[in-house]
Amino acid sequence: MRNGKRAEQILGYSLVAPALLLILAVAIWPVIQSFYYSLFDYRLNDPTKSSIHLNYSLDLEGYLQNYPFLKSSLTQEMAQANPDAKKALVDVEEKLKKMDQTIRSDQEVAKRYDQVDEALNNFESPSDELKMVEIDEEAARQFQNNVREVIKTLSQMKEEGNLKQADKIVGLAQGLKGVVVEPNFIGWQHYKDSLGDTRTWKALWNTASFTIISVAIELVLGLGIALLINKTFFGRGLVRAAILVPWAIPTAVSALMWKFLYDGQNGIVAKYFEDIGIVHRMGDLLTTEVGAMFAVIFADVWKTTPYMALLLLAGLQTIPSSLYEAASIDGATKWQQFTKITLPLLKSSILVALLFRTLDAFRVFDLIYVLTGGGPANSTETISILAYKMMFSQTNFGEGSALAVMVFICVALISMIYIKLLGADLLSDGAKK
Amino acid sequence: MSKKAGPLFYVCLAVFIFFVMFPFLWILLSSVKPLSELFGDHAFQWFTSHPTFESYVSVFVNYPFLRYLWNSTVVATITTVYTVFVAAFAAYAIARLEFKGKAVILGLVLAVSMFPQIATISPIYMFVKKFGLTNSYLGLIIPYTTFALPLSIWLLVTFFRKIPFDLEEAAKMDGATPMQTYFKVILPLAVPGVFTTSILVFIAAWNEFLFALTINTAEKYKTVPVGIAMFQGQYTIPWGELSAATVIVTVPLVIMVLLFQRRIVSGLTSGSVKE
Repeated sequence: MRNGKRAEQILGYSLVAPALLLILAVAIWPVIQSFYYSLFDYRLNDPTKSSIHLNYSLDLEGYLQNYPFLKSSLTQEMAQANPDAKKALVDVEEKLKKMDQTIRSDQEVAKRYDQVDEALNNFESPSDELKMVEIDEEAARQFQNNVREVIKTLSQMKEEGNLKQADKIVGLAQGLKGVVVEPNFIGWQHYKDSLGDTRTWKALWNTASFTIISVAIELVLGLGIALLINKTFFGRGLVRAAILVPWAIPTAVSALMWKFLYDGQNGIVAKYFEDIGIVHRMGDLLTTEVGAMFAVIFADVWKTTPYMALLLLAGLQTIPSSLYEAASIDGATKWQQFTKITLPLLKSSILVALLFRTLDAFRVFDLIYVLTGGGPANSTETISILAYKMMFSQTNFGEGSALAVMVFICVALISMIYIKLLGADLLSDGAKK
Repeated sequence: MSKKAGPLFYVCLAVFIFFVMFPFLWILLSSVKPLSELFGDHAFQWFTSHPTFESYVSVFVNYPFLRYLWNSTVVATITTVYTVFVAAFAAYAIARLEFKGKAVILGLVLAVSMFPQIATISPIYMFVKKFGLTNSYLGLIIPYTTFALPLSIWLLVTFFRKIPFDLEEAAKMDGATPMQTYFKVILPLAVPGVFTTSILVFIAAWNEFLFALTINTAEKYKTVPVGIAMFQGQYTIPWGELSAATVIVTVPLVIMVLLFQRRIVSGLTSGSVKE
């Protein structure tokens, strides 16, 4: 029997393993990576920051595109220069040569040096892995100092008129400046910047108000609908199907649909809202700050109230009707029955539904991205939208990741609060009942 | 459950259904209007006197809409089949086998299903870019695992738990190995649950927006939600075509929901209700 237990354990782990590994690889690892990115000044549009480096490194491609040409130009100059200038030039050349030797003193680097050189001679562009070599901080500093001195000397000579091809030579020397890539680790700087930025706080505020208002309305309406349809009636299946349709269609498509209905000139819903006096003018819906937030919440309520109602309906159906019968025999009013029986017994269903909906609302993206794009004047910009814009419009992956991590932390906090309220109900083993 | 439904109830119900269906109704009516009647004086008329299918034709002629439909179908189908397959084994183990750490694993699965997508997008984007998977089906199927797999495991666990344990005991008595029990006893009984899970995962994958928006940007690989959302030009929005496209994607969903509503509801509510 003991053997059987062991075998079962092993089987259990091996059956779970593939799924767990996948989850680890595609969900958990990326979150950790996001956090790691957020500690770097990581920008896709800036070649020196388009990857993550903790150490100083040297861009061999950039180096070899400048150094050899600089050297040969200097040799040409020396042939024509006056004695004073020649001495200075020899000095510069010495410095550069020594630098080059230092770089090549490492065998591994020397090998890659030659490979990159060959690639460039064949007009190929070497891969990032090949061309970037790590160097220690001291070497990097020394390199930078040398380059700075060389530029200074050459610029001075240029001003004195001692260089024939002044622009070219100084330009090449300048080119060496960008060759050392500094580490772009910046620690918590993105978090400090984001938290000091009013735009972030506004986005957080927008997200929070969107979440709280829409989920609250959805809960009240959903409960009402669930109570309404919690009985046998003709056409139940049809009603259920009708309820499911808003839930089932892609959010992006429903957002577009609402954009049409809200349109300031031709939108039927905008017109009705104007007629009943919810908005002053039809156009106000999508062009004023309050109007846009209202529009977004209204569309969200339309789409997800049915889902809420279904979850609550399922909870209602588990309450035995005998309780109500007993209560009405004892003379309890409908309201008393609702507050004393329905609500307490529905508590865990409500909490679970609220948990799912709050988290969903907090990470809202599609609806707002399509309906308002976060506008007007960032009035509907949620934290997810802001993070997306940082990453993909401004290609600032570091700061965008920091915002994404903040979304993650908020979601984790919200879940913890709910799980605390729910206790172990959520995960308890239904089979042990 | 025995409460009687009165006439007032049906009135309330009708009002509610009308509110839920109104946007669709309007889009349906707009999709058959000639373009000139979508704007100006005619914009608020319910019915057009000149119904036309020109918007429907235009969707297929002027936009690669068929291509979007095909892309979405491929991505959602492969995602569903592969995640449900992987999840079925894991869910069986969690629901029916005894081993340490089950609760922790299930908790992890639930936690991952609550991860905000935005928190995974930058590393995943860099990953698919590095391996040249942007604008490919695989480039979406891999990230879709992040939500599809936890969802499948979670749903399947609740379905597997509902299968009576006696059957398994009987199979054990007869000398069946756990794997034989799984394939011969549990799986056939779990077919409805697997089917329900598949529907829900398919819908989730079909509707996904953020990954599709960032990873597959080429016309040729756009999925339906992104494709439709990008119909809008810089200054003009082709409302006629948009209405037609919306109707085209909604009709199959309505049919599916009508056919499988019972299953979908059981899937949506399983795990959230203590029975």
